[in-house]
Parts: sequence; structure tokens; C-alpha cells
Amino acid sequence: MDLKLDADDLNTCVQCGLCLPHCPTFRVTGDEAKSPRGRIHLMREVQNNDAPLTDEVIDSFETCVQCRGCEPACPSNVPYGHLMEQARETLADAGEMTPTWQRLAFKPLANPTMLQAGSSALAVAQRFKLVPKRLGISEELPIRRKPLTPTGNDVYFFTGCVMDAWQRDVHAAGMRVLEAAGIGSIPTNELAPCCGALHAHAGMAEDTRNLAGTMMANLDPDKPILVDSAGCGAAMKDYGHLLGTDEAKAFSARVFDIQEYLADHVDSLPEVEPLDLRVAVQDPCHLRHVQRVHQATRTVLAPFVRELVELDDDGLCCGAGGAYSVLQPELAGDIRDRKVAAIDRVTPDAVASANPGCSMHLGAAGVPTIHPMELVAQALDRGPKR
Amino acid sequence: MSLIERLRSTLPGGPPAPSGDPLLDELRVALSPDRVKVDGAQRSLLGKDASVFDGGNSGPICYPTSTDEVAAIMRIAEAHGRAVVPRGAGTGLAGGAIPLGGPVVIAVTKMNKILEIDEENGVAWVEPGVINLDLTRHLQPLGYHFAPDPSSQQVCTIGGNVANNSGGPHCLAYGVTNAHVAALEIVTAEGEIVMLGGLDAEPDGYDLRGVFVGSEGTLGITTKIAVTLTRNRPAVRTLLLSFESTRDAANTVSGVVAAGIVPAAMEVMDQRITQAVENYVNAGYPTDAGAVLLAEVDGPEAGIDIDAERIRDIGLENNATDVRFAQDDAERAALWKGRKTAFGAVAQIAPDYYLHDTVVPRSKLADVLDEIYAIADRHDVLVMNVFHAGDGNLHPLLIFDGREPGVLDRIHAAGGDIITASLDAGGVLSGEHGIGVEKQKYMDRLFTDDDLDHQNRLRRAFDPVCRANPGKVLPMGHSCADIQHLRSVPAEVWG
Repeated sequence: MDLKLDADDLNTCVQCGLCLPHCPTFRVTGDEAKSPRGRIHLMREVQNNDAPLTDEVIDSFETCVQCRGCEPACPSNVPYGHLMEQARETLADAGEMTPTWQRLAFKPLANPTMLQAGSSALAVAQRFKLVPKRLGISEELPIRRKPLTPTGNDVYFFTGCVMDAWQRDVHAAGMRVLEAAGIGSIPTNELAPCCGALHAHAGMAEDTRNLAGTMMANLDPDKPILVDSAGCGAAMKDYGHLLGTDEAKAFSARVFDIQEYLADHVDSLPEVEPLDLRVAVQDPCHLRHVQRVHQATRTVLAPFVRELVELDDDGLCCGAGGAYSVLQPELAGDIRDRKVAAIDRVTPDAVASANPGCSMHLGAAGVPTIHPMELVAQALDRGPKR
Repeated sequence: MSLIERLRSTLPGGPPAPSGDPLLDELRVALSPDRVKVDGAQRSLLGKDASVFDGGNSGPICYPTSTDEVAAIMRIAEAHGRAVVPRGAGTGLAGGAIPLGGPVVIAVTKMNKILEIDEENGVAWVEPGVINLDLTRHLQPLGYHFAPDPSSQQVCTIGGNVANNSGGPHCLAYGVTNAHVAALEIVTAEGEIVMLGGLDAEPDGYDLRGVFVGSEGTLGITTKIAVTLTRNRPAVRTLLLSFESTRDAANTVSGVVAAGIVPAAMEVMDQRITQAVENYVNAGYPTDAGAVLLAEVDGPEAGIDIDAERIRDIGLENNATDVRFAQDDAERAALWKGRKTAFGAVAQIAPDYYLHDTVVPRSKLADVLDEIYAIADRHDVLVMNVFHAGDGNLHPLLIFDGREPGVLDRIHAAGGDIITASLDAGGVLSGEHGIGVEKQKYMDRLFTDDDLDHQNRLRRAFDPVCRANPGKVLPMGHSCADIQHLRSVPAEVWG
């Protein structure tokens, strides 16, 4: 079957295997079919040798978290993430992956009214303990949300879909920190309802292209767009590749992770008494392996907490992976166990994670996770240094 | 199968559903159904390792978690007349782990526990699926490491290191795997569990441990290993020397050894590979130099600078165009990352590579390198050289695109000439990658018939039933007579 994979991209892999230990699913299973090298081999077998599309092949692709931890480990720079997204798109279009119920589940993400109404209903259900644990929702969802209002006109602040419904407080903290650095921001709200990252991961790239088109049409082409969710930022930085137009490339070049942007303005933030916390930095995969700007989190956070500590697991994925933790709960749990063990080894007071999915997933295992912007905002709230 | 049986087989802990294949059914009972795989995808995946050889399909693939399970697999395979092939991370470069003739594959990736650190005896007991670098990182806080550091150390397993007697850049000063294994628990092809070697300084009897290390799975499979702990180095200096030619770099290496210095590592890369590597790591490797020498000295702080400066001076005497000292651990790590990812980086240039592993006397390094470039020109193939210069271990990479018609014949011919040139210079076939299926046919150039027959008799002493990774290492005609039919693949498969 033609998976519509670029022949040269597929050929870049020399099967050396250096990616294996950087793949969370290989780490927890030891199974070649759940490794990047194995998945690329199977893509080749299907596309070049017409190997049958068995359940095992589909399972190999479906169990990929798409964390892209294999990419920085690859000396041949194999564009694994793009290969996997394309394979999934072809297979989803052919009805081999992403069944209709999943497709329908992703639809409301693009519709803020529907999403927020649904989220409030879920929050009420949660109060009555009607939400199954399997969904991994670790925090109490808000029933009502305070609207975000512009603080100036320097940058856009991307608010997105689920994160805006569930963690708007993080957005508020981010905007407060920007303001303290003298940067006024405009929350995108309904101008940019969703980045389409989850759609692209599920093989629904057409939806992503449509969402990207809406966003590009609605946003003023001169302003930087700051994002406080690593997964969304990575997806928006990839619009240039996904749409292939000059406009999209220019748009992607204006997207910054909020920590990445603030790292250049950290001197503008007031000096305050640091929080008395030992904080472990958990790098979201799409910040570290895809955007590769994870050092910025440390630059921004360091002045505001007593101590920053590093995990010793080479940035291995935590298993959240957008919808992955719901679709593959068993593997996601095994992967999380490794991360939790790494966190336990450094005995932090709190774990800073710049991605909503990671913080939910880790939170469900009892890890005290908080967005770096919330920590900075808390420190700023304590007022100037005594 | 009745409905009741089918239902029962879906219950957790219930007996697995009969598959109609008695071998499979017995393996599934001995392990658990989910740890014995036979689907086409899995068998195709485990048909390959990191080499260019394609062994075709394996039989059932087992993921044991204990020595007893390995022994059970061996007994079941023998009862069904099937061979057994062990597999670690599948990073071998000589086809040692590829299945020939549908054998049972034992993948040790789930046997990955560090069992015990015994500081008193200076060893760590580990299972074979432990990753080399994981072990070193685990030992680091205690002040130790595992000395053999193959380029693939971030992924390769200790079991694979034992099977191939693996080396690595720092084995120049510290010795290869054989020098770092005190004892081994093995399971023979008949399912017998045996301990080889021991923790005493001088174990009794013949050194069967030494026989087993490097036997590439042909004597059985190791299930538990006592590796020796090496103290971390008090001080390190790393130098990067640039040259106009690989000849100058090679002469520097000979000069350093002749001066009586024992560096921890001396690695050479030629221009093409340096460019590919730099493009990936951005470590500041000079892309305009004809060759670079990465040298490292370690030991007590006192005196270490003297050795480093002598290496610099010997380099300058041999026309070094630049000498750079790594200023800190980060710079050192970046330089080593470049060297250790060199093989993978070649795909930036072409999608396939074929790698040789001959060792030549250090004094002949420069001449043999010149000859290798000439051979590549003669056969119109692209060659890159990256090698453990300190011990004369060459790694010429022949780079190609397997989709190009006829290219494999040229690669094959050039490879044969490189081996001949190395042997003519007084060298040997393999430094560290093993013989596997790759270099078998060259064994009779290195050994006499008598030598090979004796090696086969040693093998038969461990494995009289000829089931342990047959078809590897020893050439046809000198190995177990009853495995001739295993060559289900053409004798010369290069792509």
C-alpha cells in the first residue's frame, strides 16, 4: 500500500538503532515493533514491498506517542515525526486508523462555545464523581472561567482549546508575567480556537490545515504569537511544513514558546524574593525534542525559585502524548512510571512542566506539577525583594 | 476449538489457545502467550540487525525474563530440532544476530535488571539486556563505570558486548570486554545452566569464561554477567588535532605510541566523515581539515598535562595544522558525541553503508589507508574512514545507495580488496564487530584448515547438538555438519 511517504525521507534511516533507548515505548517493552527503527522498517515494508497491513503493523503505528524523542538522537536527521504523521493521515483516510468515534471526539476542539459548555458539564459531573478515572483528569475543572482581557498590543497570547477550558489560570499567569516584563498581550480567544495538534497526531491533517488557515487569516501578520503549551507551539511552528506556503512559513517564524520569548526579556522582570522551593524541570517532549528551546525554561525560572534540579532520564517522554494517555492507557502508565521514578530520585518540592497534557498526566499519578509561568507569577505576586 | 476453550483462553492466567504448532504452544506455556511472538511484522523486524545482511524470517520470537525461562526455551527448541539465535539491541554490524533458517529467537531486552553492585569484589552482576550506558550511569554516583564504550554504547546491551567481545575508543588503555568480565552464567543449547569463571582472582581450571566471551552466541547464551567495576578517571585531557591528510594523522598515532605514551583513546576521522558528523553535532570539528585526530589522556592530575603536550608536539612534528584542547566537560562530550554517532551520520550522504572492521599493525596504518582510498577509486565507490587509530582498528565505510543498479557488486568487490590489503599487511579480519555471517568466507585466509577444525571441535564441546546460532562465525565445511541446510538465503546477500 502506498503510504504516501516521501521516498527520500524514508531512505534516510540506516537502521543503526541509536534511537532505541530514546523511545519511550521501546524502553518499557523492549519490543522492536515499538521502536522508531522498527516502525520505519514497517513503513518501508508496507510502502515499498507491499507487506500486508496486519493488526500488528497498525498497533506498531498506533502505539507511537509521537514524542519525537528519537529525532535529536538520530545522527542522520530522519524526519520521523513527519513520516509518522503522514503514515497516520494515509491510514486514517483509508479507514485503517482513527475510527469515526475518535474523529467525532476531536471535532468540538475547534468550537469554543461547544467545548466550554461541554467542559463545564464535565466539571459538574466531576463534583458528583461521575468522571471515570481512566480519562486521567487530575485536577478539579473550573465550572466557570474568568474571561481574559488584553493587557496591551505587543504580542498575541495563544489561548487554544482544552487548555483554555481547563487551565485558563495558566494563561492568566503567563499574561501577568509578560505584563511585568513590560510586554502587553492580546489573548487570541475565538480568533484562534485550536491549533490542530491533536488532529494532526490522529491523522486528521486536513482539519489541522483548516484550523491553521483560520488562525492565519484572523491574526495580524506583524505580531509575534506566544504559546504556553509546548504541544500547541510545536504544531504551530510546523504550519510552514504542513501547508507549504510562504505565508504559513512566515507565520510559523512568528510563533514562540512563552519561555523562549521571555528568556530574551528576563532582565526586564523585577527582582523578587525567590519561592522557597526545590523545583524539578520536566521538559515536555515537544518543547525539548521538537521546538528544542527547553533551556529557556531554566533561564526564566532560575531567578524565581530557590533551586532548580534536572532529571536524569535524557528527557524521555512522560507518556501523556495529547490523547495518547486515553487511547493507550496501559503503555502510557508504564512510561509514566519511569518518569515518576526519575522525579522521585531528585526529591523535588514541585515539578515544572510547560505543557498541559504532561501536567495532567503526571498529576494523575500524584506528582505536584505546575506550569513554570505560574511559579514565576507566584513569585512576582510576593512583591519586590526585601 | 470449542467455544468453552476459546473463552477460557481469553481469561487472564488461563491456558493459551492452541495454535496448531506444538513448538509455539510449548513456548507459550513456558513463558506467557504475550512474550512469544510469531506475527509477520515481528519476524520481519527481527530478520535484521544494524548490518546490511537480511537473514530472512525468524521462527517464534521469545522475550524471556529469567534464566529458567531461557533454559526452557533451549530445551523446547532442541526437542523440536530448531536452532536458537540470541539478540540484544540488534546493533551488530556483522549479522551475528540475524536468523538463518527460521530459528527460535531469544530477545533479551526484557532481562534488563542490574542485579547487584558488589563493591567488595569489584563487580556488578547484571542481566544481559542491560544497556551499556545505563550501567555506566548507574555506577557513576558510586565512582565507577563499565570501561568498554562501543560507539553504540547508548543502545547496545552488555549481553551483546560479551557475545562480540566489544571494544570502543577507550579500550586502547583499558582493554576490551574480555578484560572486564569476571564471571558468566550461561545456558547451553541443551538447556544446561553453567557458571563460567568466578570472582576469585585465579579461578580453577581452564578459562572457559575467556572462551565464551566473543563466541557470538555459538556456544550458548549468557543470562547473568559479573562485570568488573572500573574507577572513574581523576583527570582527563582531550585534544583535537587537524591535519591535511589521513597519512599525517596516522603517523602521529604511531609516533605517540612509539614515544611510550598510553593514551586513553586515539581516534581518527577523515574529511568526509568529519563533515557529516559536524553537520549533526555542531561541536566545532574543522570541516576543511583532511583528517582529525581525537586523542585523550587520563590519570592523576599530576603529569597528565605533560602527556597531553607531548601528543600536541608529536602532532605538530607530523604537520598538524591546528591543535585544540577541550576546555570543559561539555566540549569534551560534544566531541565524543560526534565520534560516536559517525556511522549513523552517513545517511546524510547516502542511505546505505557497508562497514569493515579489519585491524592492521599500527606501523602499516598510513600505507593501508592509502591503499583503501585507491581501492575505492578503482571500484568507483565512495569510502569514508573513521577508526580506532590507537590499536590499528580500521572502520572504512563504503557509502552507497542500494537502489542504484549494480552498486552492490562494486561494494562487494571493493570490500574483498580491503580485506585482502589488510591481511597482506599482517592484519586480522575483525577488531570488535565479530565475524557473524559477514566475514566467514574470509576465515580461511586467516586460518588453516587445521585451525578451523580445532575451533569447530571447541564449539562442539559446548554445543554437541549444533543448535546455538548455527551458520555464523565458522565457515561452511568447518562447522557443524547438520546445519548446511540452514543457508536458506543466497550465500552472498549484501543488501
